[in-house]
Amino acid sequence: MNIEQTVKRAMSDVAQLSDCQLIETIEPDTLLLQSGLDSLGYAMLVAQLEEELGIDPFTELAITVYPATFAEFVAVYAQGLEQKRD
Amino acid sequence: MSEYVVVTGASRGLGLAICRDILDSGMSVVALSRTYSTELQKLVASKPELCHFVEADLADLEHIPALCKSIVKTFGRPYGLVNNAAVGHDGVLATMPNGVIDSLMRLNVQSPMLLSKYLLRSMLLNRKGRVINISSIIAKTGFNGLSVYAASKAALEGFSKSLAREVGKAGITVNCVAPGYMQTDMTGDLQGEKLASIKRRSPLGKLASVEDAAAMVSFLLSDKGSAITGTVMTVDAGSTA
Repeated sequence: MNIEQTVKRAMSDVAQLSDCQLIETIEPDTLLLQSGLDSLGYAMLVAQLEEELGIDPFTELAITVYPATFAEFVAVYAQGLEQKRD
Repeated sequence: MSEYVVVTGASRGLGLAICRDILDSGMSVVALSRTYSTELQKLVASKPELCHFVEADLADLEHIPALCKSIVKTFGRPYGLVNNAAVGHDGVLATMPNGVIDSLMRLNVQSPMLLSKYLLRSMLLNRKGRVINISSIIAKTGFNGLSVYAASKAALEGFSKSLAREVGKAGITVNCVAPGYMQTDMTGDLQGEKLASIKRRSPLGKLASVEDAAAMVSFLLSDKGSAITGTVMTVDAGSTA
């Protein structure tokens, strides 16, 4: 499973856990705030991905501006995983 | 390991009493402290399956994310967090060294915020949890020579109320326990007439003990405390009545 699929699956798990309804199709340029998860849902997504991937790229890469789109969010995780490998 | 609670400042005083009380209730404890005191060593030795010591200097904010990650990796998702570690330097503000103000605010305010941030994540996934921040009656009453300390405790109370609103939907409660004057190492300098006067003015004619405050922490951690969030529970033998 690539990172994009991992994030999509985690979003769906977290949506279920937090009683949120995800929109049907999440495209690369889908705005995170319009994907159906609320802010607490996003905190849960970051927690879920940290457990699965062993990284919290926002802390580790000291990212101060939260990504706006799904593609940007995935890119942050791809960068985090790359740094972990180095 | 059974459900566990992370307790900071666990080597002595109130932190140690909180660890004891939690262990008595059957839950496990991960005790954080800079030093591994003889008392804490004894407690760990008496319940080695339930009580674990992790050395940590919480004023070192840079290392808190990695510390939390390692706690979750080693012990699993925590049920609760008790932010008890604090320093209580006293002295008039006009002559207090700036470095002391800075280190006090780091340990008393920023460190609990970061520990909450990183340990809450597991609680969010569990859809249940408890965060208890140890405040002080000084946050509201004020005390000569404790302005910075008082500010740090008032900050924790404000933090707790807003965080309670943020995470309540996920079944997590956030509260403060505000003890009055207790005879601990931190209040060791408070002696003589000042101490006698506090006792005399208390409706119960005594000081609350660390065990009294620890019992409130245990209550908030228990199922019986599940409907209490965003508030400050005062344990001061009535001093602020």
